[in-house]
Amino acid sequence: MIQVNNLGKIYGNVIAVDKISFKVKKGETFALLGPNGAGKTTTIKAILGLINYEGEIKIDGIDARCKEVKKHIGYLPETVSFYDNLTALQNMHFFAELKGVEKEKCFSLLKEVGLGGDANRRVGGFSKGMLQRLNLAQCMLGSPKLLILDEPTSGLDALGAWEIRNKIKELKKKGITILLSSHILSEVQEVSDRVAILNRGKIIAIDSVENLSKKLDIQPKLKIKIMKMKENILDYVKKIEGVKNAKIVENFLEITCNEEAKANIINEIGKIVKIIDFKTIEPSLEEIFIRMVKKDE
Amino acid sequence: MNKILAIAKKEFMDNWRNKWIIAISSIFLILTVITSYFSSGKWEDVNTTISGMMMWVVILISIISLMLGYATIVGECERGSLALLLSNPVSREEIIIGKFLGLGSVIATTLIAGFGIAGIVIGIKAEVNIIEYLSFIGASILFALTYIAVAIFFSSFLKRRSTAIGATIFIWFLFSIIWDMILMGLLIIKYGIKFFEKMEWMAPHWYYVAAIINPNEAFGIFVTTTIKMDRMQIIKFPSYYNPYVASMVLLLWIITSLSLAIYFFKKRDI
Repeated sequence: MIQVNNLGKIYGNVIAVDKISFKVKKGETFALLGPNGAGKTTTIKAILGLINYEGEIKIDGIDARCKEVKKHIGYLPETVSFYDNLTALQNMHFFAELKGVEKEKCFSLLKEVGLGGDANRRVGGFSKGMLQRLNLAQCMLGSPKLLILDEPTSGLDALGAWEIRNKIKELKKKGITILLSSHILSEVQEVSDRVAILNRGKIIAIDSVENLSKKLDIQPKLKIKIMKMKENILDYVKKIEGVKNAKIVENFLEITCNEEAKANIINEIGKIVKIIDFKTIEPSLEEIFIRMVKKDE
Repeated sequence: MNKILAIAKKEFMDNWRNKWIIAISSIFLILTVITSYFSSGKWEDVNTTISGMMMWVVILISIISLMLGYATIVGECERGSLALLLSNPVSREEIIIGKFLGLGSVIATTLIAGFGIAGIVIGIKAEVNIIEYLSFIGASILFALTYIAVAIFFSSFLKRRSTAIGATIFIWFLFSIIWDMILMGLLIIKYGIKFFEKMEWMAPHWYYVAAIINPNEAFGIFVTTTIKMDRMQIIKFPSYYNPYVASMVLLLWIITSLSLAIYFFKKRDI
């Protein structure tokens, strides 16, 4: 769906993006991750043709600079800004006209994002959450094949962010290709199939979260709460097959282990102490991200 | 074409909703009526009225047009709505032309409404040569479009709203005050102050050519050579000071400004 080859962008003396290449497959949810100034937004801007750049970007085989390509793209920018003097419906009609979409669909899209009752209100009086919903409605205009979401939950309260995340999952189920940029790692982990980690304008890792954690040998963790902690329990646990490491953190036994060994470990520990509670902590994107960026620096 | 019209319509609606159109129309209506009646205590005919308010018309139209246009690109860029606009299947040329037509229709509506209603009011009380008055309104619209195009150029070229407003203020001073002062200064340096004591003096051609390049002067020449004004009869102009050349100058300003606006806007990173 998206093919980026040797994308480069320099602002003055600063290299914002340093000849990066990646592909986003049809129907895939692909996330761009990176610290501030890593080049995420510049990459998105280049794909949308908002900046001049070196290299080549193709969307469905067509040069991204070609305006016709944008008919099939929905864009949700980080900074939400509409025309304040116009109503929500007038704003939607304007973007529908630009996309060549029937205006009749505008109201149903507003209803879908919960703005049906506010369709004829001026956007100038909208809250941040309402604006982000309107943003989502406008990026759905024309049933896009590709959605580009730049920090989609930025500045939203917990409920607003949850609603947006659910909407992204819904769109993903419909088979829409999604390119996402976010600094909220749990959010990315929840919705994305693959991630590209950017640092100082370069891609330092690109794969699924699962594969990246395997590459970095980041193991799942077991957190077990036991009735009465025995002094020699750590020695016992470390001898169980599949255990990589074990330590006591507060009242929990924290064990790093192989994925397949989890059941056996719980079983073995249950033989010598009474287990009150346990939970599994899967490798987090945050861990991968921090390790990758530190390794790069 | 549909996209250009969609952008133009959006610009018009945006300005209609924020009451700009009503405010500016009222300014032109009040200015015309005041000049027609209050300057002499009786209703003057339209030609005398135009002659009396020309200076204010030039000042007001240029300021209002610059204010309407200076933030159209740079302001949207700073607010973030330009990125959203450009993520749609619309070219940068279409945006510039659409915005020009939209803002142009805003100023045209205000001038037609303001001067139109004033013309009707004056027509009830005094003489109105409809053809000449319509030419004046037409020339005013062309003059306003010139300044809107210049403002759009600055808005596309400059990176900040604050610098864009600074540039438009400078351009207003340049054409309203500095240009004439420079030309008069050059005449004085070359011919001395006594040159102006002659009743029917003619300046050299370079002076007239340099003067008509100024859009304010071109608009003034259009009006004074189209409308019969008693007080203007004593001034002699060269043959190329006529409405056709004056309108060509204004059109050239519009075309050049919009071409440059498109050129710089295409190079701009959003």
